[in-house]
Amino acid sequence: MRNYLKLLHMEIHRFRSILFVLMGLTALVQICAIAFSTIGEINERNAYFQQTGKPAETFFAAMSFTRMVQNTQFWFAVPVGLSIAVLVIYAFLIWYRDWFGRSTFAFRLLALPSERRNVYFAKLTAILTFIFAMLGFQLLLMPICRAVFTMIAPADQIQPSFIADAIFANQAFKILLPRSFGEFFANYGLGIIALLILFASILLERSYRWLGIALGLAYAGLCAALMFFPPLALGAEYSVGYLYTEEIYAIQIAIDLLIAIVSVWLGLYLLKKKVSV
Amino acid sequence: MIELKEVRKRYRGRNVLNGLSFTAEKGSITCLIGMNGAGKSTIMKAIMGLVPIKEGQILIDGKPRGKWMYEKVSFVPDHLTMPLGMKMSEGLTFMADFYESWNAERAAELMRFFRLEPKEKIGNLSKGTAAKYNLVLGLALNSEYVLMDEPFSGIDLFSREMIADVFSSELIEERGVLLTTHEIDEVEYLIDKAVILQDGKAGLEFDCETMRSEQGKSIVDVMREVYSR
Repeated sequence: MRNYLKLLHMEIHRFRSILFVLMGLTALVQICAIAFSTIGEINERNAYFQQTGKPAETFFAAMSFTRMVQNTQFWFAVPVGLSIAVLVIYAFLIWYRDWFGRSTFAFRLLALPSERRNVYFAKLTAILTFIFAMLGFQLLLMPICRAVFTMIAPADQIQPSFIADAIFANQAFKILLPRSFGEFFANYGLGIIALLILFASILLERSYRWLGIALGLAYAGLCAALMFFPPLALGAEYSVGYLYTEEIYAIQIAIDLLIAIVSVWLGLYLLKKKVSV
Repeated sequence: MIELKEVRKRYRGRNVLNGLSFTAEKGSITCLIGMNGAGKSTIMKAIMGLVPIKEGQILIDGKPRGKWMYEKVSFVPDHLTMPLGMKMSEGLTFMADFYESWNAERAAELMRFFRLEPKEKIGNLSKGTAAKYNLVLGLALNSEYVLMDEPFSGIDLFSREMIADVFSSELIEERGVLLTTHEIDEVEYLIDKAVILQDGKAGLEFDCETMRSEQGKSIVDVMREVYSR
């Protein structure tokens, strides 16, 4: 356990600067988007008042933080998309950076006097930590964005709104920060299983090289088929089928859990017995 | 004793190790000799469990390998094995964190001996300095065996002399060393035993002193004989 924590600390330490850059970029883009969008609307309201002499409220809807988030969907989604892309790339790099280049840290990691599974779980936990750190940061950023909005918008024209509504107003957040725990569990559960499949495929490649690429792709394809085919075959998309929806979900969860267990087992087996540097 | 018994390993469709057997004893320097691609580095990596073998057995003091052996056998590869973004001092801390057999005093002594600057980034090290740093990482462990893969490769004369000095010091005396090198004539006087690799096997295994005194042949002479057959 002590060695696992040390390795986890090291993995997080190695990625910390990129993580901070992503957080900084997300904060900068989203705060600027809210600020510019709010200033833009205030200017439009002022122009309307100057042109017509009528108060802006007669033509414009009340200014709410939720609407501002809705208006800036693209700029909110850009850093989120970029962070996801970086994390997906890093899920590969977290292994490959130790094998390639002037320094092959894999030599050292695999020759540590501790179980090799610590290396596997440290890398896995590190990626999950980065994902949830970004998610937590995004949640933290929302009240900050709202504070920026409140500071800029005239107090008498602000319509109060909940941050939960603002989150729901953005299409990307609907998936990343769903309202129900069930959806959150399903989305991130599938994400974690995808990560486990990816790790198993990478370790297949690191163990069998060219043949390993084919094996890795075949394994990922098989897992994807197992994850997506049964619910469709069992009629999950029909309201009236042979099985109840709950039964189909139960089968699906059982299959997903099995894939997760097999992927972890395969990854650990390859790391212990087959991987080469 | 490090013992390889009938070890077989295929690499890129070729039998790199084809029933290789030899031993490397504690308290002596054993040199693996072979042409390029003979599998010298593969043998080192196989002993360390860094590549799987197809068949055969590798024993350390009569026992099959396991995680315990990494405290007992240290490996000095021919390239860096620490993240380039780390400082040399951070690399030493990493070793101290994970290895019970790490000897921090000896590490500091070796850093001074090789005139290495602990604050320097590993990514900025030249080939020669990297080789010295690798030696620090390998020799500062209180291990019983040290495997060294081409410790003199691409290194300037002055650095070579420094590394050669280490071989004749008390840092090596008690341990078993298994070494690969192309610079045989330069280090011949240090080597106790030679294993000449041929077709994935130990073509010849001999005691260098006996060979010199009884047949008057140097390692290079024996190599010429073996490879001209």
